[in-house]
Amino acid sequence: MSFFRNKKLLIFLIGFIVLVVLIGYSLRDRANVSIAEQMINDTVGWVQTIIHTPVDFVTNIFSNIDEFRNIYSENEILKEQLAQYKGLIYEVQELKEENNELRNNLTLTDSLRDYQPIQATVISRSPEQWLNEVVIDKGKQDGVNANMVVITAEGMVGKIQTANEFTSKVQLLTGFDQFNRISATISRQDEQDIFGMIEGYDDETKTLMFRIIEESDKDIKEGELIVSSGMGGVFPAGLIIGTVKEVVPDQYGLTRTALVEPSADMYEINQVMVLDRSLDVVEESDFIEEEEE
Amino acid sequence: MKRVYIPLFLFLLLILEGVATDFLPSDIVMGELLIVPHWLLVGLVFITLYYDRENTYYSVMYAIIFGLLVDVVYTGILGVYMFSYAAVVYLIHVLKKLLHVNLFVLLLMGIVGVGMSDLLIYISYTIVGIIDMFWKDYLFYRLLPTIGLNLVFFIILYPILMKRLKRWGSETNWK
Repeated sequence: MSFFRNKKLLIFLIGFIVLVVLIGYSLRDRANVSIAEQMINDTVGWVQTIIHTPVDFVTNIFSNIDEFRNIYSENEILKEQLAQYKGLIYEVQELKEENNELRNNLTLTDSLRDYQPIQATVISRSPEQWLNEVVIDKGKQDGVNANMVVITAEGMVGKIQTANEFTSKVQLLTGFDQFNRISATISRQDEQDIFGMIEGYDDETKTLMFRIIEESDKDIKEGELIVSSGMGGVFPAGLIIGTVKEVVPDQYGLTRTALVEPSADMYEINQVMVLDRSLDVVEESDFIEEEEE
Repeated sequence: MKRVYIPLFLFLLLILEGVATDFLPSDIVMGELLIVPHWLLVGLVFITLYYDRENTYYSVMYAIIFGLLVDVVYTGILGVYMFSYAAVVYLIHVLKKLLHVNLFVLLLMGIVGVGMSDLLIYISYTIVGIIDMFWKDYLFYRLLPTIGLNLVFFIILYPILMKRLKRWGSETNWK
């Protein structure tokens, strides 16, 4: 029985068993993390908020100096664009009003596009770069829940993976796999929209893979805008995801996959918005009742 | 009171890891390279070499506690960092008896420690199926740059920590 007297080996083996048990426990599909983990996350998040402010201040100074150089030329271009936008804003406002009036006439008050934004600040980024996660300073207390979409001004950046009471973890688009699909669409005139799914991120080409579900004979051009379709159940419709970079046939040659370049910058994220979709997900029971009527 | 400094310092490193990518230029972060700040492990190696006695295992205990905290806070997959940090710190604790500690031994331990723990993390994540990366890609895009960055951190911390840890170590009552 000398095997069991070897204390070090025994401790190592116990450690290994603990490792396997812990990994097994954390790999289950957990919508809610345990209370102990939430408390640790919130405590660390609280300290991170304090640390983040001065760090952000210092790093901002450096990036600002870097940006000073091309401010003049940028300003010229922006002025030109601003003049164009003024007309556009007026047009959009008119269209919005008209849309609202028409919706009221049809008594369609809620739409897939409506959402309540929750402003949040990124307080840390996971040092484990394989996982592509950031932590934001809003949690369940502010109305954030798991699976909500997170956007910046440029477009979609990810979704809430776990929500603690005061902080939450965001899974970035760059870390999406086949388990995190987004129902997306390319908007065309005359109801010729192209529907598909964003099926994960490809590290080699640095693009999202947009698999076209139907009518793959339609031409997709480079630079076309991909937006969320709102059909997935959680994300609101009309959020910009990215632009088409290239179209390639999939491995079986039956469907085609568009490689989509995300429009949001995944590396310098500071201010984000968490979107709470106004329209509730249709419960399965409601759906059956409606059919019976 | 001196005993509290070390956990506090490790906690600070844990939190700084979360903002570490802000310090790096965005060209490096956005490029092919995956650089991981294992600053907590760097701190633990310092503690093993300069603070811990031959017959005490405080560093291993801290490695287990703070490794688990990294798992909870940053990855969500419990146990991976805890196990790899604890194993590496224990190994360094054993190696310490064989070598006379100086700056070069410290850097050597740094290379061995950071390299081995990152390799253990790579192996566990591959087995679990979270990542799918060819070993050559891993070696050149992640392992070597990671060791390089953390060595820089070793050199930065050396003048700040070495004397203090030695002093704390000799002032502490080891029971």
